[in-house]
Amino acid sequence: MDNTEYLRPSNLKELGQIMAGHKNRATVIAGGTNLIPQMRNGGKSPELIVDIGDIQDFSFIMEDDGFISIGAATTIAEIASSDIVSTFSPILASSARELGNPLIRNRATIGGNLANASPCADTALPLLALDAVIRILSPGDKTRNVVLNNFFHGYRFTDLGKGEIITRIIFPKPDDETTGSQIKIGLRNAAAISVASIAVMLTMEGKICRKARIAAGSVAPIPMRVSRVEQLLENQEISATLLEQCKAIMKKEISPISDIRGSAEYRSYVTAVILERNIQRALS
Amino acid sequence: MIAKRADTESVKAEYRVIGKPLPRHDAWGKVYGETKYSNDYKLPNMLYGKVLRSRYAAARLLSIDTRDAEKLPGVVSVMTAKDVQNNETVTRFGQTHAVGGFEGLYRVLADKKIRFKGEAVALVAAERRDIAEKAIDLIKVEYEPLEGVFDPVAAMQPGAYQVGEDKSNVICSYKVRKGNIEEGFAHADVIVENTYRVPMVDHAYLEPESGMAWLDDDGVITIRAATQVIEHFRGVADVLGLPHNKVRVIAPMVGGGFGGKEDITVETYLALLVWKTGRPVSLTYTREESIIAHGKRHPYIMRYKTGATKDGKLVAMEAELISDAGGYVYLSPWVLLYSTVQATGPYDIAHVRVDTHTVLTNNTFCSANRGFGGPQPCFAYESQLDELAKQLNLSPLEIRKRNYLHTGDAMATGRVLEHRVETEQTAEKVLEALGPPSKPKSPPEKIGRGVASSMTSYGRMMFLHDTSRSFVSLDLDGSVTVRCGVQDIGGGQASSLAQIAAEILGVPLSDVNVYIGDSALTPLAGTTTATRQLYMSGNATLKAARVVRDNLLKKAAEILNTSPENLDLKDREIFIQNHRKDTLGLKKTDPECNVNYGGTRKAVVAVETCVDDDSDRVVALEDVVKACAAEGMPLFNVAQFNAPTRELIDFKTGQGKVFADFTFGTQAIEVSVDEETGKVTVLKIVSCYDVGQAINPLSAEGQLEGGALYGLGYGMMENVIMEKGITLSPTLAEYLIPTAVDAPDVETIMIESGGGVGPFGAKGIGEPSCVPTAPALANAVSDALGVRIYELPITPEKILKALGKI
Repeated sequence: MDNTEYLRPSNLKELGQIMAGHKNRATVIAGGTNLIPQMRNGGKSPELIVDIGDIQDFSFIMEDDGFISIGAATTIAEIASSDIVSTFSPILASSARELGNPLIRNRATIGGNLANASPCADTALPLLALDAVIRILSPGDKTRNVVLNNFFHGYRFTDLGKGEIITRIIFPKPDDETTGSQIKIGLRNAAAISVASIAVMLTMEGKICRKARIAAGSVAPIPMRVSRVEQLLENQEISATLLEQCKAIMKKEISPISDIRGSAEYRSYVTAVILERNIQRALS
Repeated sequence: MIAKRADTESVKAEYRVIGKPLPRHDAWGKVYGETKYSNDYKLPNMLYGKVLRSRYAAARLLSIDTRDAEKLPGVVSVMTAKDVQNNETVTRFGQTHAVGGFEGLYRVLADKKIRFKGEAVALVAAERRDIAEKAIDLIKVEYEPLEGVFDPVAAMQPGAYQVGEDKSNVICSYKVRKGNIEEGFAHADVIVENTYRVPMVDHAYLEPESGMAWLDDDGVITIRAATQVIEHFRGVADVLGLPHNKVRVIAPMVGGGFGGKEDITVETYLALLVWKTGRPVSLTYTREESIIAHGKRHPYIMRYKTGATKDGKLVAMEAELISDAGGYVYLSPWVLLYSTVQATGPYDIAHVRVDTHTVLTNNTFCSANRGFGGPQPCFAYESQLDELAKQLNLSPLEIRKRNYLHTGDAMATGRVLEHRVETEQTAEKVLEALGPPSKPKSPPEKIGRGVASSMTSYGRMMFLHDTSRSFVSLDLDGSVTVRCGVQDIGGGQASSLAQIAAEILGVPLSDVNVYIGDSALTPLAGTTTATRQLYMSGNATLKAARVVRDNLLKKAAEILNTSPENLDLKDREIFIQNHRKDTLGLKKTDPECNVNYGGTRKAVVAVETCVDDDSDRVVALEDVVKACAAEGMPLFNVAQFNAPTRELIDFKTGQGKVFADFTFGTQAIEVSVDEETGKVTVLKIVSCYDVGQAINPLSAEGQLEGGALYGLGYGMMENVIMEKGITLSPTLAEYLIPTAVDAPDVETIMIESGGGVGPFGAKGIGEPSCVPTAPALANAVSDALGVRIYELPITPEKILKALGKI
């Protein structure tokens, strides 16, 4: 850690310049809840840390023109207690409330949760189900948008290029026919890392499901959308038979590993259980 | 949750401070964060210590090159085994009475063979913490990795890899033989036989192992450390080859002990670095070090075969217990002896055969942990009892009632329980308090209830000839000083002594000041372990306070022209008995007790007034003190309390008396289990113990609640996961303990039989309170689902496997 440089820009312009100028060596820090432990245990030793904590334009929750926008440096605690989030995306609010513990939630940011790209990233699942888009600031003051579903490429590997940084997360306000549900399985009731998580958003037209978004966490190298289950549900009446088919397909689509928190068999089984439960909850 | 107290009336009435729910004198400091712990102290010129730990669990240590580390600017000293005068040492278990046989062998710094991953290899002292950390990385250690052995059963086999230099990995084995086991099983109508496994668990105290030491002006190495045993000053002095009186240990308030600070932690390292550098040194373990490299609770494999008649009477129990001691001996033989004596639980069984073994492996070493060998067999024998009840179609309460030991009965070891045994009453009370069963909320949810009883010793093994000393004095203004070398690890150890002195000397609690935990300045009171401090130091303080009181009353009798037997002492006045009376109609809330306990209880004390006012029948305490002082009558006393002693038991049969007394209790748990996800929600825990006499019901209630949660963690989630000696759960992100959100409603009930051997008939409850929780949980889950989990912790995954879903 001795040779680590530290910069703390105060606005987006400075940030852009720093990121462009040091694109091969800059590591962005917001809450530090991932980076600091990684540096402590020797897993990471960044040359340059760029702290975005002073940039005010980075922390906001806005409702605007049919969309919700959340600044990348908005803390998980702010999201958990936001009326806008609770009203328009309760599954994001509840995921935020289940992330870590109060100390973590007060520091960790939504941008950090996504950029860290852990398969168990709690906020990634509701955002995947909400069709969120990530806005990225690239070197040269360029901005680009990436659909979150295309953001995660592999285990802890994202679409972020050198010198790039997430600036905001945007998702459309769900309409009145769309409801969601989210369930996280952890090994205790708080401060738990997800063993398996599912978030769903369903758009119903009477008994027919018009649109389905299913996201699964901790059961693949990345937080993933499960398109084959979505396709199975869309334009169908949701019946017990269909749910059984969905569960069977779900088990095929995921690729969980065995680790100290649970075996692959357990993850697979319980993912199917919470998929069904989520769909039933969303419909009720 | 508010504690209920049963059977109190007859015992309670005569006490004035004892038995009152008084806020502890140390409570507010902790609430405000003002209490200082070991890591809060700094001295000018202080260095930071750091320990280099072995990267292998099994290896030969070939060479250590410290040159690069020594050259690093800011590094003051680097030490290895060759710098330690007496590196092969022992933890003296009997600090007041050396006992042969096994002493807890360990090495200060690794030499020859590495025996577990994380074993200390070298020490560094540097000007800054980061420099010390860097220096550790610069020490070059050459290892020859060895195959190691990580399973205690494999380690017992002939030809197994040898963990140490000895010829066998088996540290010791014990037996209990009672009756004729074959005959016993021949009489049984039902026999159940199962193998149970319990995991290695950590103490997970808030405060990791920590201390700061310096060389005092008088040339004494003075160590202020988080410890349960200040008397390790002797062991530290032995390592350095110094006279015992050249090392002093001070224990400030300790942020949790649970047995984890019973063995030496940082003290020897600090002493070595201070002696070498002449400068103050501070050393605090990281959480990872605490989990990887310090003692744990032993994992056990337990085969139990239990037989009962069709009437539900236990007739035979055969048990084989194998404990994984990890890399060094430490307290494993004693933990195993506790398990052996308590292997049959609080039950009367005619034919018993118990065989126990503790075995070295290349896992993290195991030693003391709350319950000290009690929680492991309790999980097995209480699970067995429910299995028998199920086959015999008896309720869990009924089968227990038909088998509980009662006062005057003999245990399997032949020891007669001469003190009060109220287990049956505790069982009836917990089930009554659990109330009508909850209704399941939705189809996958199943409700279950479980009960488990235990008997757990308090006070150390009698062949250790345990003692404690306490000093009590009255100052000229009537205020009271207690000096007693107890370590207060958060259980109210110091506060209880203050209450005892206040009771005997007739002063309010606020008039008592207690000095604790200094091996040089407070009379030695032994360890804060084995649930012994209230029993031992409480008795010592009682004894000392009574001598002071006798002297006071003698002098007061002269003044009042009566005999001492006629006098009583209360509210800083000495008066002729029956002179004052309680004006019962007039009650007010005592300002000291004016705390609203959960909104339903206010401590109310009677206000007492003199019926008349003649000064020839009452004299102020202060005046008597002055009169004593003028005549040189001593108003102080140092008393020693000696526990009853016995010599070692007969190791061929396990027959004999090991403990002075036991604490009996029962816990009941109601759970809701989600059959689809395997998730267990604990709805309620009821814990009832015969505490003998609650000195401070608030502290006692805190122990019962904390014990239940400690036991719940063991039952539900705690697990130091090891693979080939490597800890896979080295931080609190992987090593899970219950959070506030996981904590259910805990209702506590105290029976006060007055039948203990502690002061005022108290029994110890610190350790007993955590013992039956995990089996009560296992029994509740089994009741809910109809399948049993034989291995702790009871995780959702194990439940789904037992249900055949995965």
